[in-house]
Amino acid sequence: MKPAAMAALRLLGGVILAGLVWEGAVVAFGIRPHLLPRLSDILTAIAFTPGAYWAGLQRTAAETLIGFAAGTAVGILNGLVFFRAPLLRDMLLPVFIVSQTIPVIAFGALVVMWFGNTLLAKAVIAFYLTFFPVTVNTLLGLNSVDPKQVALLRSFGATPRQILLRLQLPMALPQIFVALRLGASLSLVGAIVGEWFGDNTGIGVLLLQAMYNENVEALWAAILCAALLGTAFYALVAWAERRIVFWGVEQ
Amino acid sequence: MNRRHLLAATGAAAATPFIRPAGAQTLVRASLRLKWLTQAQFAGFYVAHQKGYYRETGIDLTINPGGPNLLTENLVASGADTFGLSGGTDSVFAARERSLPIVCAGVMHQQTPFVFVARADGPIRTLADFRGKTITTWFTGANFVLLGMLAQAGLNRGDFTMQPQQVSVQPFVDRQIDVVTATRYNEFFTLMSRVGRENLRVFVPDDHGITFPRDTVIVSEQTARDRPQMVQGFLRATIRGWRDVLADNKAGVDAVMSVAPTLNRPHQEFMLVEAGKLMVAGGAARNGLFWIDRPVIQAAHDFFRQHEVIKTPLDLAAAFNSSFLEALPVADRMA
Amino acid sequence: MPKPPSPLLELRGLSKRFGAVQALDSFGLDVQPGEFVTVVGPSGCGKSTLFNIVAGLDEPDDGGILRFKGRGCHARELLGQVSFMPQRDLLLPWRNVVDNAILANEIEGANRREARAKALSMLPEFGLAGFESQYPHQLSGGMRQRVALMRTFLFERELMLLDEPFGALDALTRSMMQRWLLDVWQRHRRTILFITHDVDEAIFLGDRVVVMTARPGAVKLMREVNLPRPRAPELLTAPEFTAIKREVLDAIEEEAMKSFISGTGAAP
Ligand SMILES: Nc1ncnc2c1ncn2[C@@H]1O[C@H](COP(=O)(O)OP(=O)(O)O)[C@@H](O)[C@H]1O
Ligand SMILES: [Mg+2]
Repeated sequence: MKPAAMAALRLLGGVILAGLVWEGAVVAFGIRPHLLPRLSDILTAIAFTPGAYWAGLQRTAAETLIGFAAGTAVGILNGLVFFRAPLLRDMLLPVFIVSQTIPVIAFGALVVMWFGNTLLAKAVIAFYLTFFPVTVNTLLGLNSVDPKQVALLRSFGATPRQILLRLQLPMALPQIFVALRLGASLSLVGAIVGEWFGDNTGIGVLLLQAMYNENVEALWAAILCAALLGTAFYALVAWAERRIVFWGVEQ
Repeated sequence: MNRRHLLAATGAAAATPFIRPAGAQTLVRASLRLKWLTQAQFAGFYVAHQKGYYRETGIDLTINPGGPNLLTENLVASGADTFGLSGGTDSVFAARERSLPIVCAGVMHQQTPFVFVARADGPIRTLADFRGKTITTWFTGANFVLLGMLAQAGLNRGDFTMQPQQVSVQPFVDRQIDVVTATRYNEFFTLMSRVGRENLRVFVPDDHGITFPRDTVIVSEQTARDRPQMVQGFLRATIRGWRDVLADNKAGVDAVMSVAPTLNRPHQEFMLVEAGKLMVAGGAARNGLFWIDRPVIQAAHDFFRQHEVIKTPLDLAAAFNSSFLEALPVADRMA
Repeated sequence: MPKPPSPLLELRGLSKRFGAVQALDSFGLDVQPGEFVTVVGPSGCGKSTLFNIVAGLDEPDDGGILRFKGRGCHARELLGQVSFMPQRDLLLPWRNVVDNAILANEIEGANRREARAKALSMLPEFGLAGFESQYPHQLSGGMRQRVALMRTFLFERELMLLDEPFGALDALTRSMMQRWLLDVWQRHRRTILFITHDVDEAIFLGDRVVVMTARPGAVKLMREVNLPRPRAPELLTAPEFTAIKREVLDAIEEEAMKSFISGTGAAP
């Protein structure tokens, strides 16, 4: 508990220091506000309409989390199915790969036609960006299990199901978490891009409005919110990884 | 909502609007797709929505903002949205030429909403001075308007440099380019705040006989055919909302900012004044808001034909349908 | 040599070919209940292949005979019937010492709480007292090996296969582990088939030493080790020990020479 508190304190110190350097640099070098506004002006912009940023943060977080959770579940399931059914893998994996070559902007336009401006639509885009790396890494992780280890369990009389649950799946976890960390960032990107297709609430909406109105303070305010959300989510996944894959990446 | 969209996507229920009982009255669910992000340019729709005017005409309306990656015509043609406020006469032409089954039921801006802006203290005093200069503009129609204007001054392509305009007007502010394109209600505000109104020289397409009415209300051909009552109701409620806004701009800005609170209020107030001017200009002065001014549209069409933006002549009588407006008393349509 | 009536394991004419490589060729061996048999041979001669067959992981080629507890069977029928310890400890990094030790019991459906209790009671015997909650990455190589051995012992089968269990340990740890293993074996009285490439180890531990030929693996020499038990470290320098060692080393030398020559392609 103590080292964690120290780390949090150090992080806070770092953030405050970075903020001071930002503020100081803008003032000292007379940087024009449309290039980089003062941090205090950005925070003032947020404080002026905190409700809008809070609502945006919540909405985007919900879209990201739902998409991420679905992408993780489906990705792991895909990985398992492909691992157990190589024929299915050879048939479907190329299709998945092709699906990933669709630019997310184009995919977003389709999703809006299918699902309208719903939370679900954004979650679908976040899902679309998440499930593929999780699928691939799950498969990779399952395939990388030492055959000698499998042989040992077989010698104990283990069934394929027991081998999967007691050995292969846990052994694939470090590899899966690599994809989850990537997915944490990608799902946020997916949710934000999804909000660029005509919606009223979300960090992506705030970004777009600020950008096209050339409202630099609002733009930076939205960027700060996105960074906050992205960092928090990534940290959450990294924390879960440290807790679950506590043994580190052995072998 | 999403079930409706899913069904619409499969084409199974494009024709059957989702009907839901709401108290005693039966409301028809419908959506309006705006041409751009929420801003005061659309204040009338938001006021009509918030004051319940659409409900009074039997429509349970959802207002969906537009954005850079959306084409309103596509969303309306596919049934994803019921009503659309699309780019303008030019985009209606383009959609009809692509055989998209959409119809224009009203026109919001009676004049060309954009102008070309140079520096007042610079070398450009007349259109002839554009020779050899660098101009940025939108390659979605504004480029042809500029070509048409400059042709009148005897300039051809190649006599000047025309580049696609990005999001920001900053290159013009930084004097990297000589002429920038600006909507009267949006970019012009940014230019005024960064350069100062007195330092800007403005070239107005309408002053040179080129008028492109924009911000067109569209519906699918199917909606126009099967549900004329609903289209009339939509226009009635919309015009009612706009009449309120034109009488009380502040309430209009309030309505918009309740939906998008991070917007800049002075900018939105300016926008609403300018948008209002475009709405009551031209044919709207005699025939009311959203009037479809056929001679002007014919002229715009012919201008595009002349520049071969449109490859074959379009059936404008089919593309622009005034019957929904005409079903409403003129008095109710006047600003 | 009078043969006792019922060996636990009988192997006759066992062969195994991997593509172009003949790993085993007509290997034969009987193992009596309670016997400690050590197998030595040059590396690559087919020792692990032999174990994989007896553990049920690989089928031998047609023609050989495999009998377990007096009954002829396919190798795969031995899955779950013998207690196998591979060359590396292969501990699961997310399981602590106790949970690694009871892995095999868990797989055969044993009550987890009872298995844990039993493992806990065995910890001191395996020199792991107080380490029950440690994870593999927190243990030394010798301790990891002891956890693997404990897992093998806890999987209570009459026949235990230990494939070079001390191969990766330093000399000091290794000799301590050897005496410890003998101690444990004497108390639990299982039948052990033990692979090593260390001749001292083979003689010190075994009731019998089997020397294998260079690949393809067959029996080169079968030597009874009629030295008294319990065996003390001083035995290693005793003349009876060195006599056996001479014999075994001669056989190994000959085979090593063969494989060296065939490996370099030179004529004898
Ligand atoms: N699964 C396999 N596929 C192909 N060759 C194998 C396989 N297992 C063992 N071999 C080969 O068989 C020979 C004997 O191997 P092994 O039994 O592991 O020897 P060792 O006596 O060192 O344990 C070696 O040449 C090895 O390369
Ligand atoms: Mg081996």
